[in-house]
Amino acid sequence: MRPTGLWFDRYNAESRVLETRRSRVAGLLLLACLAALPFTVGPWLLGELTFLFITLIAVYGLCVTVGMAGQINIAQSAFVGVGAFATAKLSGMGVPFWLCIPAAALITGAVSVLFALPAIRVRGFYLALTTLAAQVMFPIIIMALPMAWLGGLVGMPVVAPRLAGVNLGTTTGLYYLALVLVLFCTWAVFNIPRTRFGRALRAVHDNDTAADVMGIPVARIKIEAFFAGALFAGVAGALTAYSLQFVTATNFTLFASVWYLGMLIVGGLHSPLGAILGVLFITLLQEGLHTIGNMALQTGGAGGTIFALNSVVLALCILLALIFEPRGLAHLWTTTMTAFRLWPFPRT
Amino acid sequence: MARSSGTILEARELSLRFGAVDALRNVSIQVGAGMIHALIGPNGAGKSSLLNCLSGFYKPWSGSVVFEGQDISALRPSQRAQAGIARTFQGIQTYPGMTARENILSGFHGKMSGGVFAALFRWPAVIRQEEEFTARAEEIIDFLELEEHRHMVVGEMPYGLRKRVDLGRALALEPKILVMDEPMAGMSPEEKAILARYIIDIRDNFEIPVVLVEHDMEVVMDISDQVTVLEFGAVIADGPPAQVRADPRVIAAYLGGPPPLDASAPGVSA
Repeated sequence: MRPTGLWFDRYNAESRVLETRRSRVAGLLLLACLAALPFTVGPWLLGELTFLFITLIAVYGLCVTVGMAGQINIAQSAFVGVGAFATAKLSGMGVPFWLCIPAAALITGAVSVLFALPAIRVRGFYLALTTLAAQVMFPIIIMALPMAWLGGLVGMPVVAPRLAGVNLGTTTGLYYLALVLVLFCTWAVFNIPRTRFGRALRAVHDNDTAADVMGIPVARIKIEAFFAGALFAGVAGALTAYSLQFVTATNFTLFASVWYLGMLIVGGLHSPLGAILGVLFITLLQEGLHTIGNMALQTGGAGGTIFALNSVVLALCILLALIFEPRGLAHLWTTTMTAFRLWPFPRT
Repeated sequence: MARSSGTILEARELSLRFGAVDALRNVSIQVGAGMIHALIGPNGAGKSSLLNCLSGFYKPWSGSVVFEGQDISALRPSQRAQAGIARTFQGIQTYPGMTARENILSGFHGKMSGGVFAALFRWPAVIRQEEEFTARAEEIIDFLELEEHRHMVVGEMPYGLRKRVDLGRALALEPKILVMDEPMAGMSPEEKAILARYIIDIRDNFEIPVVLVEHDMEVVMDISDQVTVLEFGAVIADGPPAQVRADPRVIAAYLGGPPPLDASAPGVSA
């Protein structure tokens, strides 16, 4: 957050995400810690973090489609699935992973355009329904296609990623792969609001009638919003495929799509920071419940009940967020930081 | 105060009907270069309908809209904006979630380039373009004296300021004509005076003609070069403010009383 007495002499400096030397140093330190992690922690935590990174990338995508452009999308998990199957298919054909990942992103983007077409005509609940249809159709289509194409009912194996003879399919390898990609996606998603496309997305979100009169092609921007969001889903899908090593259509459920949305809502729809905070918060909560559940099981308590509470807790979080802070944890973060910056003066 | 007689925007015999209501009947207006052209009339006279036909929101049943000699009747609102017709709205139609400067920058959409991938990767050319257009947005901020508020989220601004941001966004289109729908509705006299000064400056400094719908007679008579009066969807008077003010039919329309009995008088269904 911007300290007082900070001045800029270029417009680009003004739009930096990390504005001060101190925040840039802090960012580098965090990066160094994350890079050093495999040497200090066990494979369980590493696997959990990889999963967290993948989730974060998928939620970034939702942040673009739902948060910035205001186009409701409850098929993000299906889009992740498209990316995963694209990766499985391509890796099986001998395509190296560094080509598979961008290709999966582009394929997912292309598929999303198909399902974005209703967004031109419908909005709100109706758009939610059409994206829900995409989510429901996804496993049915995969299973109905000939087995030789995408594995049908059985699913598809994924060839492990290899870089210069090193197998990246290990827990550590996947962790580093996910870390690099999550950093890249973080950079990309923070770039969007600071560009022409990002402003067009938010213009469509805030007031699409005015946007139309101001020369913004609303229909095109809505489709591009789905496309951009699906690019992230594709990357998340590629990583999912590599970490699962075997993909089936049932891996990508409506349930996951709802969780993604829940994380974004709790974190705050309107900035990528919300995606980060939401994913961290919900994941920590889930893990906490999981740990408590395991402890209860070991002591002979009602562990099953605690595991089952998972969805209840998510629902509760979303409800509380919507009632008390509809702008999410990100807004809470921003106001707190502003209060610190202006202290001892009250926030205006 | 007309300095040029060239016609920029012209409506030719527009007719529009909502159900049984004739919103417009054979309405023709001509907006000349360097003019502030006011549309006035009682409530329901068809002023906003006419404006919406000019900016492409409504499709007239008959007649055409001609802009710089070209028939633009078939163009959609965003295409008309690209062609050079900017518009501000009745009430508040800014983007409330964006800052004042972002609102203005969004007006440059048609002049800037770069799509999804430019946004994701923000390569050096994108940053250079951002800086160039931010500088241009700052010129507009300078003109509208919004410097203090440039980073303020528009949703948190008072009404008068939001209208100024709306105007700034329209100016970012670098329009050849500016269409304003009741720019001063709901403003305090001070806010009205400030906005009136900007409208005159837009005509004089930017040399952009302005079409506006306005209810405040004092403002209209003070700043307009040309006034068109509508009643029941038809033009009843057209001319300089002094002439229009003296027109008996205008006085009748505003003060009530029997409409003058002549053949072109409204009331007879077209």
